[in-house]
Amino acid sequence: MNRLPVRLALLVTALGALALFVSACGSSDDTSPSGDATALAFKITDEGCSPHDAEVAAGPINFEAEGDSSSVTELEILDGETILGEKENLTEGLNGSFSLTLEEGEYTLRCNGGSEEDGTLTVTGKLKSANSPEVEKAIASYREYLEENTAELTTNTKPFVAAVVAGNVAEAKSLYAAARIPYERIEPVAESFGDLDPRIDARENDVPASEWGGFHKIEKALWAEGTAAGMAPVAEQLLADVEELEAKVKKVDLQAVQIANGANELLGEVSASKITGEEERYSHIDLVDFKANVEGSQVAFESVEPLLSKSDPQLAKEIEADFDKVYRTLEPYETAADPGFVLYTELTKADTRRLAQSIDTLAEKLSQVPAAIVTGEAG
Amino acid sequence: MTPITRRRLLASAGIGAAGVGLGATGYLIGADSAEAVEGEGTGSVAFYGEHQAGIDTPAQDRLHFAAFDLVDDDPKALRELLQEWSLAASEMTEGQLIGDVNSLEVAPPDDTGETVGLAPSSLTVTFGFGPGLFEKRGLGLAAQRPAALKPIPPLPADELNELESGGDLCVQACSDDPQVAFHAVRNLARIGRGTVVMRWSQLGFGRTATTSRSQDTPRNLMGMKDGTANIRAEDTGAMERHVWIGKGDEPGWMRGGSFMVTRRIRMLLEIWDRSSLEDQEQTIGRRKYSGAPLGGSDEFEPLPLDEEKDGKPLIPADSHVRLASASENSGERILRRGYSFTDGVDESLGELEAGLFFIAFQRDPEKQFVAIQRRLGQFDKLNEYIKHVGSAVFAVPPGARPGGYVGETLLG
Repeated sequence: MNRLPVRLALLVTALGALALFVSACGSSDDTSPSGDATALAFKITDEGCSPHDAEVAAGPINFEAEGDSSSVTELEILDGETILGEKENLTEGLNGSFSLTLEEGEYTLRCNGGSEEDGTLTVTGKLKSANSPEVEKAIASYREYLEENTAELTTNTKPFVAAVVAGNVAEAKSLYAAARIPYERIEPVAESFGDLDPRIDARENDVPASEWGGFHKIEKALWAEGTAAGMAPVAEQLLADVEELEAKVKKVDLQAVQIANGANELLGEVSASKITGEEERYSHIDLVDFKANVEGSQVAFESVEPLLSKSDPQLAKEIEADFDKVYRTLEPYETAADPGFVLYTELTKADTRRLAQSIDTLAEKLSQVPAAIVTGEAG
Repeated sequence: MTPITRRRLLASAGIGAAGVGLGATGYLIGADSAEAVEGEGTGSVAFYGEHQAGIDTPAQDRLHFAAFDLVDDDPKALRELLQEWSLAASEMTEGQLIGDVNSLEVAPPDDTGETVGLAPSSLTVTFGFGPGLFEKRGLGLAAQRPAALKPIPPLPADELNELESGGDLCVQACSDDPQVAFHAVRNLARIGRGTVVMRWSQLGFGRTATTSRSQDTPRNLMGMKDGTANIRAEDTGAMERHVWIGKGDEPGWMRGGSFMVTRRIRMLLEIWDRSSLEDQEQTIGRRKYSGAPLGGSDEFEPLPLDEEKDGKPLIPADSHVRLASASENSGERILRRGYSFTDGVDESLGELEAGLFFIAFQRDPEKQFVAIQRRLGQFDKLNEYIKHVGSAVFAVPPGARPGGYVGETLLG
């Protein structure tokens, strides 16, 4: 028991290093700053922030604000018009702080309502990478897969959209599954871009009816209503959205633990909406998505597997074997004809139960991977 | 012999330390302040001992029972499972969180957490082995199979549903807090993922049996006192004679254990509620409110089985208490430990899906439960109001010593 604080401290340091990468695009909270953060102190006055401009080295920064005005009470750091961090309601005499990790560049320093509201925060130098070469390799490997699949998503969505726009229902139906597969393989990453995932993949009632678009709205029209009428603008927007996704993933920050969690989330997708037949409720191609989720999960896992093999080689082996088991469980439902799997409506309860159990077994072990990686990196 | 488990592996890799923070909070307080009031309220009941807890423990108010099937015939996997289950059960009965990783940001906690802040609440976790376990070739346990562990044969008035029957392993979690019982089954199922699959499970919301002289007789959903004539744990002679596998019994690994029979008994409550008070009392053989035998005035007076009124037996020949009584069953008795249940609405009828989840412990199911039920199923007037829809039997091994695990006497 007495060794505990030492162990804990090691762990926290390791986590801190990882957290740094998540926050590279900016995050804000009230937690106390870590030891190596640079402190920047500001007074919030009637004129605005004091000092009005500031310069600081790239890295973790702790912004300390002191209220000195009754009307101007807020300090914000912005990148363009995106608020990265802020502290509000600091009336005279009140103090507050928040932490950000900032990369090189110019940011806006704003005290809302001041007579000289905006100043400039200049961040210089490079962020130090905390990643080992193995971690960089894992990230690079997954990034390649991610970019391949978003490119394939665009490629496969184009003819699907063209068929919908042309009003060719039969052809659109036959092209639907191929467009879905690359998306389902990398869905957790798409989910990290706010409303992009709902725009592409929301099911009916997930969003207000007036906002509903994307794959499943077209799916409903094609299968439930047997028409593509009125779907052209929806299809064109879908194509624009998947192209936006393809562009965005090229700039996304990735970290090993996030990739490992993504592998786990993909299996969560399988359990929550594929085994239940809720995802593809009109076309019933849920098993196509099922396999794509598992494939995406496996690649994510394999990207980080070299890190895991250091700390828990046994777990790595068990997970490999469990992936194989899932594929074997899925095999009897594959068909030569499109879409490559029997429809969800043909499955019995015993079938879905078998599939669910194979996923649960794998997922329980896969969920231990992020912790094992952190341990490996700490040790 | 220390089990090398997933959680232990992680702990040895250094990650475990993070867990202790949460483990030391609220849930433990109950354990520390408990005055060892066995089986009542918030205190804790020892997991380790000669017998498994949850048999002669005064019946707690709540139950969560689960039956599992083994996925592979792998003796090593089974042993590791029972080691992990025993360790987790001992932690939970003491009111601690299970596992080591409970505060690590990037990891799912080992313990699911819904008992944080709750007292141990007399939790007992009792493990059993179904007949199927001894039929799996890969396990090589056929020679160790107790002669008394046979599937319950088809019995009169059975309406069994296979999906609510049987199982290779079982977990009986009893507690005075329903969430504590649920937490136990949930976490054991999670630990077992990949080794076992849950076959069926049953929640019980109120005890229908008394297993200690310190307890009042509860009522079942028919409004009748149930278990008046039950064996009491304090009656050690009766426990030795009817419940515990004795020192000279075979197989040796079962000594200190017992056999458990479970029956999911659906009560046709709507029909029962429409029958007259007299009918209800004649069906059971006792007065509804006092619990006294018909013709008597005190719950605990002996059944006047030989007395007649107007040329008819005072306790009707087809009444439940007569047919179930020891004197009508060659002196055989069982320790009952059942719970009332309800699982919503019977979809095809629009009626309450409710009844009794019957649990009984005995030395020999064939001679005891089966013999008694064979007569009940055939003659009991109560059959008009009940259906047996689930059935299972398990060998309940003896308790574990500290550091050991339940099943060690069988698996080594």
